[in-house]
Amino acid sequence: MLKEVNSTEFKELVDKGLVLADFFSTTCGPCKMLSFVLKDVEKEFGDDLTILKVDFDQNKELTAEYNVAGYPTLILLKDGAEVKRLQGLQQKPVIVKLVKENI
Amino acid sequence: MAQYDLIIIGAGPAGMTAAIYGARADMNVLMLDKLAPGGQIINTNEIQNYTGVGTVNGAELAYQMFEHTQQFDTITFDYATVKEVVDKGGEKLVRCEEDDKEFTASSVILATGTRPRCLHVTGEDKFRGNGISWCAICDGAQYRDKDVVVIGGGNSAVEESIFLAGIVKSLTIVTMFDLTADPIACDKLRAMDKVSIYPYQDILEFVGDTRLEGVRFRSTKTGEEKTVSCDGVFEYIGLTPTTECFKELGVLNQMGYVEVNDRMATKVPGIFGAGDCVTKNLRQVITACADGAIAAQEASHYVKNL
Repeated sequence: MLKEVNSTEFKELVDKGLVLADFFSTTCGPCKMLSFVLKDVEKEFGDDLTILKVDFDQNKELTAEYNVAGYPTLILLKDGAEVKRLQGLQQKPVIVKLVKENI
Repeated sequence: MAQYDLIIIGAGPAGMTAAIYGARADMNVLMLDKLAPGGQIINTNEIQNYTGVGTVNGAELAYQMFEHTQQFDTITFDYATVKEVVDKGGEKLVRCEEDDKEFTASSVILATGTRPRCLHVTGEDKFRGNGISWCAICDGAQYRDKDVVVIGGGNSAVEESIFLAGIVKSLTIVTMFDLTADPIACDKLRAMDKVSIYPYQDILEFVGDTRLEGVRFRSTKTGEEKTVSCDGVFEYIGLTPTTECFKELGVLNQMGYVEVNDRMATKVPGIFGAGDCVTKNLRQVITACADGAIAAQEASHYVKNL
C-alpha cells in the first residue's frame, strides 16, 4: 500500500508491521522522482509493505518528532521502531534490498 | 539474456530523447538508470531556457519526458547501475552491479551525465550531509532564518543562491573567480538584500567541532584570510563526468568525458555518447536532447548496416 497521510493517519498506521515513511516536499525535485521509484517498490511488495508519504511542510510536528531535517528522508519502521534511515533520492534496488532484509 | 537493438545508459534528457528517436527508428530500446529518470535536472527548481515551455520545474520536465518515452511499446526502462560495457564487435555486452544482471545490444549510447564536484578541503567529509549540501531545493528549508554560504559563481550557484536568498537570514557567496552565470541572473542576485559576495577566493577549510560553524577562505588577489560564520554551506563548483564504468572502452579523454565526433560517435563502432558526459562546451537540457537525437539516429544507421 502507498498512501499520503497526515499526522493522525500516520500514527494510526505506523505501528502495524513494516512501514516505509517518505518525508517529502512538494517543491523538491528528488522527492518527486523518489515517488516515482516508490510506486515501483510498492508493486514488488504489495500488502507486505506500507509506504506512507508525509508532506514535510504540512506536518511540522511529526517531522520534528521523527527528527527529519531535510528531504526526501526515508525511514523504515518495523512495528513502530526505526530500523533504518536514508536521506536523498535512493536507488530502487537499495530500497528493495533493505525491505527484503526486514520483512 | 535479453537482446536489444539499442541500450541507453542514463535516463536524463539526452537518454530519454535518444530513446524516443531510437523507438521512432524502429529499434527495440532498453534505457537504464541507477536512480530514476531525469538526471541532473531533478535538482533544478526552475528551467527557463528550454524552448517553448517558458519556466518549468526540473522534475516536472523529467516526468513529462519520461511519460513521452512510455508512449512507445518498444522502450523498456529498468533500474540498474552499469559496471562495464564490453565491445564484442556487432554485439555489446552491458554488465550491471545488481545481481550480475547483463544485457546485450547491437549499439549503446553512453548518457550517464555528470555529478557535482567536491572541494576536498579540510572539514568537507566531516560535515558532508550534515551542514554541507549540494542541493538547495532539498535541504534549503532547514536553514530558514539562518546564515548560509554558497560556494561557486556559475549558473547553478547563482540560480540556487536566488532561491536560498528568499529563505535564509544571510547569504554569503564565495567564489574562485567572479560570478560567471548569465548576466540577468547575476544582476538579480547582486540586487538582493542580505547577499554578500566574495569573488576571487580559495576555500581553505570548513570550521566547526561537532557542527559546522563557518568557512575559512583566502583572497587570491591580496592573500587576506577571512572566516564567515554560517549554519550551512551549499557547494556548486562544477561537475565531474560519471563515466568510470566506461574506462575499459578507451573512449574517455583525460578529464573522463566521452570523446565523440559531430555524429556523437565514439571511436568504437556502435558506441555513441550524448549529453553532459561528452566533450563539449555548453551543457544544457536543450543541447543534451539534441545530442540524444543525433546519437540515436546514428545508432539506427549503424544497426541497419550490420
